[in-house]
Amino acid sequence: MHPPAKRSLHIARSVTEALEARARLGDNAEFFAGGTWIMRADRREEFEDRHYISIGGIEALAGILISKDDVVIGASTSHAELAAALTEVAGFRALQVAAEKSANPAIRNLATVGGNICTGGFAAADLVPALLCLSASLEFSGADGLERVPLETFLKTRSAVLPGRILTRMIVPRRPRRSAHARLPLKKAGDYPVAIVSASFALGENGAVEDAVIAVGSVEHSARRWTALETAIRGLRPTSADVVALAKETAGEFQGRDGVEAPGWYRVKVLPELARRAFEDLAERKV
Amino acid sequence: MTVMLRINGEERAFYGDPMTPLVDVLRETLLLTGAKAVCREGFCGACTVLIDGVPTPSCLKPAGLSGGAEITSIEGLGIEGELTALQQALEDNDVVQCGMCFPGMVMTLTPFLAAKPDPTREEVKQALVGNICRCTGYERIIDAVLSIGNKERTP
Amino acid sequence: MTASIANPAVMNLARRDARDKLRGRTRYTIDHVTPGTLHAFLLRSEVPAARILRLDVTKARAMPGVRAIATAADAPGFFGIGIADHPLFAKDVIRYDGEPIAAVAAETLQQAQAAAAAIELEIAPLPASITMAQALAPDAPLIHENWRDYEILLEGAARGGNVAWEAKVMRGDTEAAFARPDVTIIDSCFSVGRQNHVPFEPRAVVATYEDGRFHIKTSTQVPWTVRNATARALDVPASQIRVTVPPVGGAFGLKFDCSLEPFAAVLARKTGRAVALVNSRREEMLTCLCRENAEIRIRSAVTKEGEIVGREATVLMDCGAYGGEQIFLTTMTAHTLGGNYKLGSARISSRAVYTNTAPNGAFRACNGVYNTFALERHTDEIAEAIGMHPMEFRRRNVIGDGDLGSTGQVFEGDVLGPMLEKMAALQAKAPATPRAPDDRRLFGRATTVGTWFIFVGPSSATINLNTDGSATLITSGVEIGSGTMVQSLPQIVAARLGIRPEDVVVKGADTDAAGFDLGVGGGRTTVSIGAASTAAADEVRKQILHAAGELLQTRVEDLELGAGRVEIRGVKGSGMTIAKVVQHLHGTVGPVAGTGAFTNPGVEAMAGCAMGHFIDAIDIPVFAVHDCEVAVDPDTGHVDVLSYRVVQDVGRALNPRAIHSQIQGGVVQGLGYALHEDMSVGPEGRILQSGFETYRLPGALDVVPVEIELHEGAPSIGPLGTKGAGEVPILNVGATIACAVSRAVGKPIHELPLTPPKVLDLILGDPRHLDHPHISATWIDNTIPVRA
Repeated sequence: MHPPAKRSLHIARSVTEALEARARLGDNAEFFAGGTWIMRADRREEFEDRHYISIGGIEALAGILISKDDVVIGASTSHAELAAALTEVAGFRALQVAAEKSANPAIRNLATVGGNICTGGFAAADLVPALLCLSASLEFSGADGLERVPLETFLKTRSAVLPGRILTRMIVPRRPRRSAHARLPLKKAGDYPVAIVSASFALGENGAVEDAVIAVGSVEHSARRWTALETAIRGLRPTSADVVALAKETAGEFQGRDGVEAPGWYRVKVLPELARRAFEDLAERKV
Repeated sequence: MTVMLRINGEERAFYGDPMTPLVDVLRETLLLTGAKAVCREGFCGACTVLIDGVPTPSCLKPAGLSGGAEITSIEGLGIEGELTALQQALEDNDVVQCGMCFPGMVMTLTPFLAAKPDPTREEVKQALVGNICRCTGYERIIDAVLSIGNKERTP
Repeated sequence: MTASIANPAVMNLARRDARDKLRGRTRYTIDHVTPGTLHAFLLRSEVPAARILRLDVTKARAMPGVRAIATAADAPGFFGIGIADHPLFAKDVIRYDGEPIAAVAAETLQQAQAAAAAIELEIAPLPASITMAQALAPDAPLIHENWRDYEILLEGAARGGNVAWEAKVMRGDTEAAFARPDVTIIDSCFSVGRQNHVPFEPRAVVATYEDGRFHIKTSTQVPWTVRNATARALDVPASQIRVTVPPVGGAFGLKFDCSLEPFAAVLARKTGRAVALVNSRREEMLTCLCRENAEIRIRSAVTKEGEIVGREATVLMDCGAYGGEQIFLTTMTAHTLGGNYKLGSARISSRAVYTNTAPNGAFRACNGVYNTFALERHTDEIAEAIGMHPMEFRRRNVIGDGDLGSTGQVFEGDVLGPMLEKMAALQAKAPATPRAPDDRRLFGRATTVGTWFIFVGPSSATINLNTDGSATLITSGVEIGSGTMVQSLPQIVAARLGIRPEDVVVKGADTDAAGFDLGVGGGRTTVSIGAASTAAADEVRKQILHAAGELLQTRVEDLELGAGRVEIRGVKGSGMTIAKVVQHLHGTVGPVAGTGAFTNPGVEAMAGCAMGHFIDAIDIPVFAVHDCEVAVDPDTGHVDVLSYRVVQDVGRALNPRAIHSQIQGGVVQGLGYALHEDMSVGPEGRILQSGFETYRLPGALDVVPVEIELHEGAPSIGPLGTKGAGEVPILNVGATIACAVSRAVGKPIHELPLTPPKVLDLILGDPRHLDHPHISATWIDNTIPVRA
C-alpha cells in the first residue's frame, strides 16, 4: 500500500501570485478552484505528494459579464452562479441547462467553470460540450501574457496549453442561435451523465438548419464535435425522425469509453436518442 | 498553520493541516459531530453545512479555505437547540429512522424553504438530489416537508 | 396518537430518538472517537490469492506515533458460522483482495496509515478463483487447502472442495414427476450480483482493555455474536468481553456478524488505550459483507392444469473467501425458493461456494430477495409455457391452509390467497397510470408473491418497576433505525403494565447487564425480544396485582391495570397508582423486577426431508404480495417505476405508521437492487465500485410513494399476534420489477440488476435464455455424493 500523500495548500490572491507559486512549486503543483475533484484524490488512488494553489479568492477570475456581443465568464464562477445568470440569455440554453443540472445542488455551489474545463480526467463534465457547441474561447494568462484559445483547440492540445498558464475567462459569442443540452445520467439525477449531446443551431427564415454545432461529452475521454452529424443536418428542415436517422448513421465515429458505470457501446448507442432530445428541446423554443 | 473559523456565530481556532476537510475539523477538533462524513465525495449530503448561507458539502471544503465565512452546522440551528419548524415537522411525522442523513437533509432544506416557503413535491425532490437516505425511501420526508404550515399544495 | 380500544398496545407512537437525531446530537459509535483515542488502520491485501512469504513490522513499529501493531500471532483462533474457517488476520495464505494482514494503532489515522505502508510484506501469488464457475471447475485449486481440519460447529451438512456448505431438501420422488408423460418441463437459469448495504454509519468500533476485561463499544446488530466471536478470535474467555452498543446508523444485515471488533480489542489490550477502528467508505465498498451474488437453476414439471408435480433447484451462493453468513443462509433456500407454491415433490440443493473474493454476509431478507426473483420469473415462464394467465397460475398454486412446505411442514391458515384478492381490489380501485398518446415508452405490469419467515431464536428481558411508576426494560436489543426498541417494545411492555410507553425506559444493549440474545435481524426483534419482554412484564404485573389485591382487599381477578393505576375492574378511581404499589412493595418484599425468556418453539418438518439445515421448518411464515407498473425507454433502457403497491402480512400491526415507513424504505432499497445498484467483481477479484460515484443509490427523484395495505390476522406465535415487519418489504421488489420489465420489453429476464445498459442490451438483442454450464440439469450432480 501507499503511505498517505502529503498535500500542502497555498493561497494565491492574484493571477500573478498564482503563476509565481506554480512556477516555484514545480510539476507537482496544481491550481485548486472549487475543490470538488481534488478533494477526492484519495478515491482515485492518487498517492503523489501535491502542492495546491488556491485560486478561488482571486477577484480577476470571478464574475459574469453579459454584453450584446458575448458573455464573458470568470473561471472561478460556480455552476450555480452560472445557471442563475443565464436564465434570460437568448441562445444560451445549452449552457444554462448544463450548469443547472450537473451533479447535485451542493456540488453546483462549489464546482467552478474553470475546474470543469481544466480537469482533463473528468470525462463527464457537463459544461465542456455545452461551451463547445456555443463556440466558446478560453483566455489564459501566463508569463508571456494573455492568450486566447478556442475551446475546441484546447481540448485537442490541452497538455501543450496548460503548463505555465492559468485559465482566467471563457468568452462565449452571442449569435442568433438556439441551443440545447441533453444529458443521460443512469438515475433520474445526482449522478454524472454517461453521455451528453449539446447542440446549437442557426435556423434560416424557412426553418432550415443553416449551421449546426453539435458536441458530444462523456462518451469519449474528452468532449468533441459530432462533425458528421453537423454536416449531414446542414441545409435540412429535419424532423425528429430525421435527426435520429442521421444520428444513427453517423454515431459510428465515436469510440465509447468503457467505465465502471457503463460500457462504451452503451454511450454510443444512446447518442441518437440524446440528439433527438436536444433537437426537440431546441426546436420547441422560439429563441 | 492556524485557521480562524467562524462557526455558529463563534470564532474558533483550528491548528493543523489546512487541507483537512472542514467536516473533520468540525467533528474531531470542535466535537460538533452532527455533520457526518459518509461518502466523502459530495454525493450523499450527510456532511452539509451552510457557508455564508449556502449548503456546502463540508467533506470537499478544506479548512484552510473556510476562514472569513460564516459557517453554520446543524448544532447552530434553532434557539438553544429547540427544534425549527422543519425539524418539528420531521419529528411529528415520525419520518426518522437511523437518522444519519437527517442533519444534512435539514441543512439542505432549511435555506431551500427560506427561499421557497411553498414548494411543490417535485421541487422538494429536486432540492434533495444531493441528499441520499438509505432507510426511509424519501416520500414520507417529503410529506413532512409539505405539511409545514398545513397548507394545501399541488403535487 | 390514539390507542385502540381493542388493544392498548396499538398506536402510532412517534420515535423518542428522532429529536436528537434531527439536531445532530445523537452519538453513534463513530461519534465516540474522542480526543486521546488511538486510531487503528488495517493493512489489507491488494491481491486475491497469495502465499505470505515474509511479514516484518519492525520498521513500521518504530514509526512516529505508532503504539502497537497486531498480526496473526496475536489472534490465533478461528471463528465462523457452522464451521470455524475464518482467522482474524491472513496468516500464511491470502484469500481475497482486502483481507486484513496487520492492524496498526497510532496517535493519528495518518500515522497509522503511514506505518501500515511501511510494513514489509513479501508474497507469492497463487492462482485465484474469482467466479463460482471457476471455483467449481474440476481442476480448481482449493481455496482452503485444509478444509477438512476446520472445527465443525454444526453437524450434518455435506462439505467438500470449494463447496463450503451444502443444504439439501429431498421430499418425494422428483424423478418420477419429471418422467410423467403429462407434464411440461420448464428449465430456467438466473444470475444476480451483489448488493452493498451502504449503511450511512460504516462498521466502527471503539475498544478499551481495563482490569483484564475488554469493553467493546460497537456499531452492531449482534452484541452477543461480537462477544463470542471476539473471544474465539483472540482465544480468551468470552466472560472477559463486554459489548455495548450506541445507536446504530443503519445496518440492514451488514452488522449481523462480528467484523472489526476483534482488531480494536487486540490493539486495546496491547496499548492499554482506547482504540478506534472505523472503516472508510472505500473499505466498506471493497470489503462489505454484501448480499451475495448467486447463480440459480430451477426446473419444474407442471401439468397443463398448472399443478407443479415436481421441482428441482440448485442455488449457488458465493460466500467469498470465508463461509460466514452464507453457511447459515443456505438454509433459507428451502423456505424462499421452496416457498410460495404447493409442490408435489421437491429437491433443492443450496450451496455456499468459496471464491477468492471478499466474504459476503446477511442483507435484509437475505437469500429471499434473489430466490423470489428467480422463483417468480420462473413462475411467469411456467405460465407462458402452459398457456395459463400468470395470476391464475398463482391463485391456483399459492400455499394455503394445510399445505406442505418444501421440507414437509404443514402451513396454517389461508394467507396468500386472500392477500392476492386484496391486491386485486387495490388495483381495481386505482386506474392504470394514464399515458400520453406520444409516449414511446414500453409499459409493463406485474404482481408477485413472496414467502419470508421470522427467524425467532433465543432472547431475554428484565424489567425493573420503579417507585415513580416507570419501568426499565433491559435487553440486548439494538436500535438500528427500524424503531423496534423505541416503538414496539415500549408499546408492548406499557400495554402489559398499564403505563404509558413514554414511561418505559429502554436500556441500550450491554452484554454485562442483559442476557443472551441472538441479535436484531431477520425481523425477529419485535417477536423474540417482544415475547421475552412480555414474559418479564407478566412477572412484574403479577407482583403488582397481588400486592394491590391485598392493599385494596380485592381479588386479583377483579383488578385491572391502566393509565398508571391499579383499579377495581370497572370502577374508576377505586384503586391506587402503580407507583404507590411499588413503593409499598419496596418496604415489604423489596424492589419489583421480572425476567422473561423466549426461544423458537420448533415447528416440525417431515422427517428426513432436510439435510444440512440450521432450521428445518419455519416458526413464523410471512407473506407479501407486490405489484408495480413500469415504463421502459426503448432508446436508453431506463426503467421508470410508475406505481408500486404492497399487501404485507404483518400478523398484527402495533404501530401502523412505523410499519408503513419500513415498507416505503424497504421497497426503495429493493428498487436499488433491481434497477440501480451494481456491485461488480473485477477480473482480479476486486470490487470495482469504490464509492457513491459509481455505486448508485436511489435518490428522491427515483422513487414513488408506495401504496400499502397491511394484512392482519394471519396466525403468529409473536406477542399479540405480531410478525416482524421491517425485513420483508424488500423481499419481492426485484421479482416484481423484473417480471414487469420482462412483460414491457417482451423478453425473458434472468439477471439483476436491470441497469439501463443491461435493459437496452436486452431490448436490442434477440431473446436469450441464460444457461449455467456449471449447474447440471441433472439435479443429483449438483450435490456432494453421500459417502457410505
